[in-house]
Amino acid sequence: MSVHHHISSAKFLWGVATSLFILTFITVFVTWIHIPEPWNVVVAIGIAVIKALIVVAFFMNLWWDSKFNVLLFVMSIAFFLLLIGITLLDTLYRVDPVPSF
Amino acid sequence: MAQPSVTEERLEHLKHYFIDSDQQFEASKMGMWIFLVTEILFFGGLFLAYIVYRTWYPELYLLASEELHTFWGAVNTVVLIGSSLTVAMAIRSAQLNQIKGLIINLYITIGLACVFMVIKYFEYSEKFAKGILPGAHYSYEGIAHEKANIFFSIYYMMTGLHGIHVLVGIGLMVWLVFKAKKKVFHSGYYTPVEITGLYWHLVDIIWIFLFPLLYLID
Repeated sequence: MSVHHHISSAKFLWGVATSLFILTFITVFVTWIHIPEPWNVVVAIGIAVIKALIVVAFFMNLWWDSKFNVLLFVMSIAFFLLLIGITLLDTLYRVDPVPSF
Repeated sequence: MAQPSVTEERLEHLKHYFIDSDQQFEASKMGMWIFLVTEILFFGGLFLAYIVYRTWYPELYLLASEELHTFWGAVNTVVLIGSSLTVAMAIRSAQLNQIKGLIINLYITIGLACVFMVIKYFEYSEKFAKGILPGAHYSYEGIAHEKANIFFSIYYMMTGLHGIHVLVGIGLMVWLVFKAKKKVFHSGYYTPVEITGLYWHLVDIIWIFLFPLLYLID
């Protein structure tokens, strides 16, 4: 019993954290070299997404987890993107945004 | 049949309606993931507000984020990633029956979480002193944009809700330390450590997005 829980080695966990520290440095570094609009936003979000996926996969152990838990996570992101997409279809194309806002 | 092990297997945590410890563990973990889904959508609404207002007032975000100190935002990012590491190490310690290591890692995590909140406290009080308050209470004159209060309303809602999550996490970790000291956890039962860890990593992920979105605009 409880033999197949995934146990990460200390070395592996330090490696994951180190990669996150390096990506944090890179995301600050790219603001110094001033990438032109809109690519600065794309790079910043891209790095954040990579960092988040590393945390989800190797700290939250979704990499070794049941497919159902992976599905839960993927669906939450899918519905979040749907929320953004449908809302932007409205707000991006308004002639006059809500006047008092 | 399995041979009786040298160390007697502890099963006092096992509820009668589960077949075995594994089934109980997997059920708890799935329940936590469902909760995390609701958390993602909870913060998702605020991220959406951020996106809608950024598409409406892109120049406001450029101006207003100059008031935020990238250095302290970066320090807090490193602090939270470090605390995610120590939580992962705490879970590893529990899996290996190293209860002392579990408690030490939880203490370091609590310490890092407190460092995060102290830095946040100084950031907030510096802004409050300048009159940068949310919504109608905003009175700062230093940003040449009539909607400047909107950026900071979003800033306070997002970082405030995140900060509340950090405080809840500190409370949960203190509770874990008490339980660990009472020798409740062992390699066959560490479910509360595992699911608190999942929660803590999600709080880390939210900050991973908040940092570039709020501090790194320029």
